[in-house]
Amino acid sequence: MTAIAMPDLSVRLGKLELPYPTLMGSGCYGSGDEFASFADLRKIGAVVLKSVTREPRLGNPTPRLVHVAAGMLNAIGLQNPGIDWYLEHDVPKFAGRPCVLIGSVAGFSIDDYAYVCERLASRDEIAAIEVNISCPNVASEGETFACDPRLTEKVVRAVRSTTDKTLIVKLSPNVTDIAGIARAAEAAGADALAVVNTVRGMAIDVETWRPRLGNVTGGLSGPAIRPIAVLAVYEVARAVKIPIVGQGGIETVSDALEFLLAGASAIGIGTANFTDPRVPERIVAGLSDYLQRRGLSTIAELTGKANVGRLSAAQIEGDAG
Amino acid sequence: MQPALDHNARVHVTSVIDRRVVAPGVISLGFRAPELARAARGGHYVMAVPPTGEAAAVALGIYEADDNRISLLFFLTGKRTRELGALRPGDELSMFGPLGNGFDLTKPPKRATIVAGGVGIASVLLAAEELLRAGSRVELLYGARSSAYLVDAKRFARLGCDVAVSTDDGSAGHHGFVTQLLEQRKPPELLLACGPSPMLRAVAASAARMGVRAQLSLEETFACGVGGCWGCVVPLSAESAQAPSFPPGDRGGSDVVYARICKEGPVFWSDELRW
Repeated sequence: MTAIAMPDLSVRLGKLELPYPTLMGSGCYGSGDEFASFADLRKIGAVVLKSVTREPRLGNPTPRLVHVAAGMLNAIGLQNPGIDWYLEHDVPKFAGRPCVLIGSVAGFSIDDYAYVCERLASRDEIAAIEVNISCPNVASEGETFACDPRLTEKVVRAVRSTTDKTLIVKLSPNVTDIAGIARAAEAAGADALAVVNTVRGMAIDVETWRPRLGNVTGGLSGPAIRPIAVLAVYEVARAVKIPIVGQGGIETVSDALEFLLAGASAIGIGTANFTDPRVPERIVAGLSDYLQRRGLSTIAELTGKANVGRLSAAQIEGDAG
Repeated sequence: MQPALDHNARVHVTSVIDRRVVAPGVISLGFRAPELARAARGGHYVMAVPPTGEAAAVALGIYEADDNRISLLFFLTGKRTRELGALRPGDELSMFGPLGNGFDLTKPPKRATIVAGGVGIASVLLAAEELLRAGSRVELLYGARSSAYLVDAKRFARLGCDVAVSTDDGSAGHHGFVTQLLEQRKPPELLLACGPSPMLRAVAASAARMGVRAQLSLEETFACGVGGCWGCVVPLSAESAQAPSFPPGDRGGSDVVYARICKEGPVFWSDELRW
């Protein structure tokens, strides 16, 4: 009997090795536990935990969530108990989870980011750190860090100095030059980039004439933003050498493949978990089938392989004929 | 509150066995789902996955449950519920649950009052049945926009509930709000309610005047339904036993915390809500 080689779906992000290329997006998957009865946590790459800040944050007023065409708008506002409480009460519960846990830090100053990152990264339960410089739902300058390459570089340099663990910097799509921001993050020591966070959006109730979110504006996620995110991955992949976690509206194997071909090494799944918690497992199984069907042995063989060259004159003539 | 039975909460793929149009734009779908049916208690819900899989799952209260079958009752309000409402017997559907903390019926009283508004009736039938089985006298105060929307009012009466109805247009029962019926009652030992938010606020106010605590089943737009996203929160007294883990003493000067309706609720004590 001939053994059929199973494709290798593992990925490496800096020092972090993951058995599968699927990361559950921050703020979408709690601490993994919430989904444990519906999804096999051993079959996902990692859970990116909800972002934590230096001080406790109550979060935004309600309503925080609206379903819209092909996606949803949310304005949670980084509700979290602050790093002190988080380390004492929440992190100990993470021990023994059957999946890799990636911490996520957010802040309002460079000092905040460095402080929270250092403390969070000191814990064994946390395998790597996502640096969320792109949350669209905090008042004032929450997104400034991801909108200005000089600030991106400063904040990433500051967190880099606090830990050797893998740093994944999450970029915003709400910029004109995402490649420039990506280069700044790479230069400052990011090990990987998550591309992208939600797209800013708004919905209005036409009966009451009021915004449908308590925070007025929110972040759009789901299939509605997929082409925006694929383009962002494509542009970032041409600008940096570090791996990219492509994310934004991935629901199917085909969606995941688009991101890989555009230049991602791994993929993030967020909103799709709200449709069906089995989506991550389906995508992993589908990627494995796809690689076998194509005679490929590793997921890395897909990364950045989109053929975007112009058609030759001969090809065009051939088509016309 | 009555906790969800987590060990039974999982993804169920089942098929529709019956479909009823119970009021204009209100559909009841029945499913063969023995595990769900045996685990479900009053106030529990499921997340139903719209068949095309192109939209987020919908939280729907478990209306009926016996040994083998459950049913879900819902209004056709948008794309997702219209997709579910178009299902016919034999069609397959995925759902996960049962979820949420249901009504606390651990101390059945001599007399209980249930206030239901519109499709809020979907969350109280199991609670009424459980109370009746335990020997409680149950009064249902049921309000709807018109007589056509009073789903299964007679059925509650047949079960043994005392039923009083109200309608917005006066086409049946009291002409006005269901909470006006509540105001005419003596304070019940146990007060449960499910319905639109203004009705629940009025029930909470009545309960406070009567000096009783009401258990209110709240409705909100859910994303994950399992506590992972913090999208469906309601402000709750920080001292509440249902308040999620949060640092004591420092809540940014606030004496409230946001609790997840999907996870800590959907049933909350009226006097602990700070909405």
